[in-house]
Amino acid sequence: MNRRSFLKGLLLTGLTGLGLSSLSPKGALSLAFRKKEDFEPPLVNIPVGGLIRPPGAIPEKEFRAKCISCGVCVNICHSMKYDAIAVVGLSDFRNLGTPYVKDMRDFPCGLCMECPKNCPTGALKRLDKEKVSMGQALIDFSLCFGWNGDVCLSCSKACPLGAFVFDFYNSQWGNQPYINERCVGCGLCVKYCPLGGSAVKVVKKEVYQRIRPEYDQVFNRLLKMSMEERYLVVYNENLPKILSRGRIHEREYR
Amino acid sequence: MSLMSLSFWKRYSFLRRWILLLVIFLFLLQFLRIKFLIGGLSGSLFLSWVKILDPFAFLESLVASKTFTIDALWATIPVILVYLIFGRAFCGWVCPMDLLFSWVNRLKRPFEVKFAEKIPSKVGFIIAGLLLLLSFLIEIPIFSNYLSHLTNFFRSLTALVFLIADLPVDLSLFAYSVMSLIILLILEFCFPRLWCRVLCPVGKIYGLFNKVSLLHLRYKDGECLQCASCDKVCYMKVKISQNIERRKLRSQDCIFCGNCVETCEGKAHLIKFKLGV
Repeated sequence: MNRRSFLKGLLLTGLTGLGLSSLSPKGALSLAFRKKEDFEPPLVNIPVGGLIRPPGAIPEKEFRAKCISCGVCVNICHSMKYDAIAVVGLSDFRNLGTPYVKDMRDFPCGLCMECPKNCPTGALKRLDKEKVSMGQALIDFSLCFGWNGDVCLSCSKACPLGAFVFDFYNSQWGNQPYINERCVGCGLCVKYCPLGGSAVKVVKKEVYQRIRPEYDQVFNRLLKMSMEERYLVVYNENLPKILSRGRIHEREYR
Repeated sequence: MSLMSLSFWKRYSFLRRWILLLVIFLFLLQFLRIKFLIGGLSGSLFLSWVKILDPFAFLESLVASKTFTIDALWATIPVILVYLIFGRAFCGWVCPMDLLFSWVNRLKRPFEVKFAEKIPSKVGFIIAGLLLLLSFLIEIPIFSNYLSHLTNFFRSLTALVFLIADLPVDLSLFAYSVMSLIILLILEFCFPRLWCRVLCPVGKIYGLFNKVSLLHLRYKDGECLQCASCDKVCYMKVKISQNIERRKLRSQDCIFCGNCVETCEGKAHLIKFKLGV
């Protein structure tokens, strides 16, 4: 019996070692073990408004009722090398065991649409990626390079839906990106924003509906501003904030 | 010679452990991004093609959401087909708790609690019904999301691997899943096989298949030695020797572990597995 349990132990240890050595491809590993960013997230006054569900999720209440926490979406996401989906822990006991996209700064959803395709319970429904509604990405105009005299466009280049989602407002202040309501909330722009702590934030669609008038007011005021006013805003308010966060060139989408 | 005789007399206990380890190994491959079996034993994806869903989880999800999803029904069909053939063999051959519980049972108990053995296994249907009712009322699949040993086992495996690889995972979820597994092991230490025999609704549903499954226990012709060894080795407390006149045994509690077959082979050689009608 001893020999058998020893062999079993040996087998398991070997497998674990093998597993861990080939778990993360080099890129993901180097990103994951990088020093975590401790900047406060952009748009602090706008709450995320709940859990960002994987693509194709049915409405929140039904989703909670349908999902049985089997882990297919989590592991299919891992096998597609996105690792976006995590499982809710004790912080939200009502949703315990259900999947959500935890960390868009490092692990956004790649919209491969494998999880809705393979969900066995129907909690995630198959649909086109343009029709996904995980959330809405919002650009913090006071932190974005594009809105403060630089040409960056990392977010729009990273976006899997491209010009379908991005509107551009060119001026002498730069190539100013605006994300419209067709955004699906995958979070790739959050990851590839080179600003420390990212200048993009993904919120739930319900929150977006609520805060949109306010958000668009800021946007329209910026567009209508005179050269002198804008100069004061950019140089006195925005650039000090941006410079304190710094530009992370490895994150830029090229 | 000794190994040969071991593999002959103990062939079922030997084989079922290797099948269990094989299934867990196939599930572990998903962490290496090999898409053979993805998910866990309550719901999974086989060869990126066949969706598999545990029937009890399907029922819970159905009553909690009150909406019927045809995809979910399709996903339960492979399971139902397998259990129409093998009955409740899942519990003895694939369930990881069976292995963990057998390790717990090797420990010496300082006390013995007898009353748990007297609880009839039929009580489990009431518990399964109550769980379904509770899921219906609070609109969350309560067993699958919070209590299930299968969910918690595979959740803690995934969480452990993700923690080590520094992938997004909630530490509190890992703690919760491991704690619920430990609570189950403590329960097993105090009341041997109470979970398998009475409490676990997954096994209860599979037990229903035992009534119609192709695999069942048969008694060969011959004289019983009345040693009652089969009753003693059966940890699911099936009354094996009492049914010997009926020629076959279709008990809801039988998990086809093969203990009785192996014991009887050394003695009267009466009990055997039969795959067929």
